[in-house]
Amino acid sequence: MPTKETVIQQRTVAVIDVGTTSVRMAIAEISSTGSIQILEHLSQAVNLGKDTFTEGRIHRDTIEECVQVLRSYQQILGEYGIHSPDDLRVVATSAVREATNRLAFLDRIYIATGIEVEPMDEAEVSRVTYLGIQSELERIGTSTDTVVCEIGGGSTELLLIKDSHVQFSHTYNLGSLRLRKAVDTYNAPIVQSRQLMESQIQRTIDLFHEHMPVGQQRHLVALGGDMRFAASQLIGDWNIDDGGVISTKALEEFTNDILQMSLENIVRNYELRVTHQEAETLGPALLAYLCIAKHLNVPEIHISGINLRDGLLQEMALEEAWSKEFQNQIIGSVLELGRQYDFDEAHAQQVASLASQLFHHLQPQHDLEPRFETFLQVAALLHEIGLFISNRSYHKHTMYLINNSELFGLGKTNLLLTALVARYHRRATPQPKHSGYAMLDRDNRVAVSKLAAILRIAVALDASRNQNIHTIRCFQNGETLILSTPDAVDLSLEQLALQQSSDLFEETFGMNVLLSNTMIDQRESL
Amino acid sequence: MNSQEKLFFNRELSWLEFNQRVLGEALDPGNPLLERVKFLAITSSNLDEFYMVRIGGLNIMVAQDNNQPDATGRSPSEQLEELSRRTHQMTTHQYECFNQMLEPGLEEIGIRRFSPLDLNDAQHQALSDRFDREIYPVISPLGIHADGSMPLIGNQTIHLAVKIKEENAEVPHRIVILPLDSPVPRFITLQSEDRHAFILAEDVVSLFCDRYFPNQEILECVPFRITRNADMRVEEEFSTDLLEDMSALLESRKDSDCVRLEVAANCSKQLLTELQNLFSVTQAFTYNCDGPLDLKAWFQIAGLRGFEAYQAEYWPPTNSPQIDLSENIFDEISKNDIILHHPFESFDPVVRLVEQAAEDPDVLAIKQTLYRTSSDSPIVSALVRAAENGKSVSVIIELKARFDEARNIVGAKELQQAGAHVIYGVKGLKTHAKSLIIIRREPQGIRRYMHFGTGNYNESTAKLYTDISLLTCDRILGNDATAFFNAVTGFTQPRGLQKLAMAPLTLRNRILELIRFETDRANAGKEAAITAKMNSLVDPVLIEALYKASQAGVLIQLNIRGICCLRPGVAGLSDNIRVISIIDRFLEHSRIMHFTHAGDDITLISSADWMPRNLDRRVELLIPVESETCKQMLIDALKTFVSENVKGHVLQPDGSYHRVSASKRDIQVRSQQLLYQRAVKAQQLAKQATPTTFQPHKA
Repeated sequence: MPTKETVIQQRTVAVIDVGTTSVRMAIAEISSTGSIQILEHLSQAVNLGKDTFTEGRIHRDTIEECVQVLRSYQQILGEYGIHSPDDLRVVATSAVREATNRLAFLDRIYIATGIEVEPMDEAEVSRVTYLGIQSELERIGTSTDTVVCEIGGGSTELLLIKDSHVQFSHTYNLGSLRLRKAVDTYNAPIVQSRQLMESQIQRTIDLFHEHMPVGQQRHLVALGGDMRFAASQLIGDWNIDDGGVISTKALEEFTNDILQMSLENIVRNYELRVTHQEAETLGPALLAYLCIAKHLNVPEIHISGINLRDGLLQEMALEEAWSKEFQNQIIGSVLELGRQYDFDEAHAQQVASLASQLFHHLQPQHDLEPRFETFLQVAALLHEIGLFISNRSYHKHTMYLINNSELFGLGKTNLLLTALVARYHRRATPQPKHSGYAMLDRDNRVAVSKLAAILRIAVALDASRNQNIHTIRCFQNGETLILSTPDAVDLSLEQLALQQSSDLFEETFGMNVLLSNTMIDQRESL
Repeated sequence: MNSQEKLFFNRELSWLEFNQRVLGEALDPGNPLLERVKFLAITSSNLDEFYMVRIGGLNIMVAQDNNQPDATGRSPSEQLEELSRRTHQMTTHQYECFNQMLEPGLEEIGIRRFSPLDLNDAQHQALSDRFDREIYPVISPLGIHADGSMPLIGNQTIHLAVKIKEENAEVPHRIVILPLDSPVPRFITLQSEDRHAFILAEDVVSLFCDRYFPNQEILECVPFRITRNADMRVEEEFSTDLLEDMSALLESRKDSDCVRLEVAANCSKQLLTELQNLFSVTQAFTYNCDGPLDLKAWFQIAGLRGFEAYQAEYWPPTNSPQIDLSENIFDEISKNDIILHHPFESFDPVVRLVEQAAEDPDVLAIKQTLYRTSSDSPIVSALVRAAENGKSVSVIIELKARFDEARNIVGAKELQQAGAHVIYGVKGLKTHAKSLIIIRREPQGIRRYMHFGTGNYNESTAKLYTDISLLTCDRILGNDATAFFNAVTGFTQPRGLQKLAMAPLTLRNRILELIRFETDRANAGKEAAITAKMNSLVDPVLIEALYKASQAGVLIQLNIRGICCLRPGVAGLSDNIRVISIIDRFLEHSRIMHFTHAGDDITLISSADWMPRNLDRRVELLIPVESETCKQMLIDALKTFVSENVKGHVLQPDGSYHRVSASKRDIQVRSQQLLYQRAVKAQQLAKQATPTTFQPHKA
């Protein structure tokens, strides 16, 4: 039967999240305008967390269970004609990330299904969650600080958002399954096990206490299945798409009830809405949310229906997830870090701005993706924080401070890359023997050289620390790159600095650099 | 009457009342003669199944010393006692109807059954020749050993017990059994002046049976028929290969316990006792039939060609004006939701939907449940073609669909070979829901087309049963249907559904909520009403909710074809509940519900009856119908059903049914006729609205 030619304006994609207690898949359609329509949600229980958090490794049987689940999901993917790897993203969170045999796990999955599972580090999870929750935050309003909290089976993610900027993000080792395991080990009676869990939760609260001191007005947004279940029980017309609000008091009463019940009773009471695995983590998770809500002294809790998969889909929808908005979020948290180390903020901002301009002008030369601009900016903003430790070899201090901090949105590799760029803003150029540098793959090593070369120029352009140059233009004359600026009066300091720090640029891009303060219109503009 | 009996009727006795109503149609001289024969055959066929399953089940309970009482407080053995009494009564009624009314009537119109005594010489000779040629070679006499062991006697087929004299003082006779199963036809046509003359196979074989036993004296030759227990299940928990185990079950059903013995009335007491001992059947479930055994076979007579004047007028299914089959069916569904009321409206669009899906290049996947299919089902063929065309086809075939297991096993294998993904239902639950999902890639994106039904995907029964089909591409129903399908096939843990309710998870509660909402409205002094149509109402929880609703003042109209355990019209208990049962030419099979719901007019269709087995042990669906036009169609249909005053029987507080008749002032409402006339009219109007155009084939 002939049919009219079908023009596809939609992209059907899928994301799979290999989590602590289950493997979940969402299939969605992304329209050309970036709107997302979920077609299917699937979830099958696989207790990876139980293996990892009690024995440190994932059992063979559990790996095979995962293989079976992924194979069954592949059948559904086939039903939607999703065959290209570009249309599928499969990630794994803490249960896989922390397993000692994670490589064996990933290999086995790949061999059995052809699916490449990408273990996500904490920062990546935070970043993606933030992507998913943006519209939710807009709805709540941006005038008051907002704490976003998700207590998973193995970890707790916390984001503090101030004036629409992520000010602080961290992932803690507190997890509902971990709490349950701890209680089970002691086999304590109900009252004592509650105390035991509370003391563990308090330890985590102590860790973030300084970033979120008591007394300030805040919103608390809770993510995660346990809170969604609480919402479905406490809110009459709960609709997962709209989210909802419950009072801390109502949560407390509900948590008390749940903690009094045996697992069997929970499963029976909420027939088929709670699986046995979910029942195990429900009580500890709710208790943790409750303790955090009480610590923050919030009268009510916003519950969001958003999950990691929503964020992953959002990211696919954005295509270019390193959007301006998102870069701003990262920069926000970077400035916060810089202030902690007492940096020269005006100079740092100036260097970052110049580096950014250079990055754009030199796009044809470096050919890097837009996200590298963000790494360059972060490195520029933080390049001097090592001074906080010592004047001597401060660029090395800078490097380890960045590498060991938790910056919103930057995963481990990206963080290392950024730290190296900052390190190479002065002195030695990248060497294979340098620690860290050698750990990167070739593409990233090349990127470090390119970015560090640009950063050196940018630093030189504010050598006077007077922020003389606001705009620069670039012209190429044979093998010379001429930077010109209409703004400045005296550029002698900058010119001198440029001479001293352009080696890496010449090595990397094969061009000399000159700085001129006259407009050179007749030359070829880059 | 104990306190439980005041609240409920026994379900088995209620079912027998239903069969009695069907028998009533056979007795009704207002019906065409062959239609009456058909109804009698239905009662016989119904009883066959009743013995196999219900009596079989109770027998097992007794054998296992399980004294679990029913909702009325009767123990299994007490129920068996009452059922024996009631079924004997019914069998007597059946044969009275046959002997006194139908057979004489048939003779009058030229359909005559000959006894051996009626044969003239030529007929006798012709039969003798035919016996030697076609019957003698295919029947193997089965001997009974002295120790009582015997070969397999088939379930519900006619046999002859032949008593042969032995020259032995201790054992004066022996018994040999002649099985009359296929290929021996039950009705053997005779040359005669009558329009249609025949003689029964058992009479022919009796007449010539001495040919099997030359030089021996035949003392007696009597037809009999046994019914075996079919209430057996595969232990699914332990089943590693359900397909194989179901095949084994079918084998084991062949020699399960006997639950009924039917013999011709002329059987001697001595032979009867021997047969009872042989099959271990008590007197309580032995039936002396005053006429031919297995009246079910008279279906064949009821459908004889050339006697249309004595059959019900043919009502060919109409084409619903809501759907133009010359157009792309997907376009038609995407315009509007469509409700089809079968068999008044044709089932073709549903078959066509699957067939088009199989060929449509934009269709990616088809998912379907199959409970009972027809042999050579065009739907199964279309699914096979779809799989061969590279579409992803997933089918849940219910291997446990009683008495259709064998057909379903064949269908399952065929689909599997074509590359479809076949799932044999869910452990411990029968998948009774009827739903079809087609995933299609369209310019605007993925769209899912659904069919939800109250009846099976079986185009043959869709011509005989009243059922509802909903065709829709509603996005949320699509999400729900997919989630439902994924849950049932084990692809995901069950999750909350937005619009659909699913048994065994949420269906009963959803209905309870709806009943309670009306109750609350009535308690608040507001208008509240429930109209529901189903095959059976047994579930005590829902019945009690209905009692409460009635007590609050909710007006409750129930149209229940078969079993109803609710006692209506009892002062203080159920004053506001009226139950009507309709027995007409089409088997009432649809499940439709309407709740006024403060003016929202919530209207639903369902695959489930309100029975514990459907709500707790089956996978069923409850589907809201939201399009205003569709809703109105269903509400109108319900109104028509409850106003029935020609083929309706109203349930009385004592459990009996009284036929409703229109008073002189009333307009006669025969709902099935009225609905058919409406469908015809709608089709005509639609035709008139389309201008005639000629489309020449151009060179």
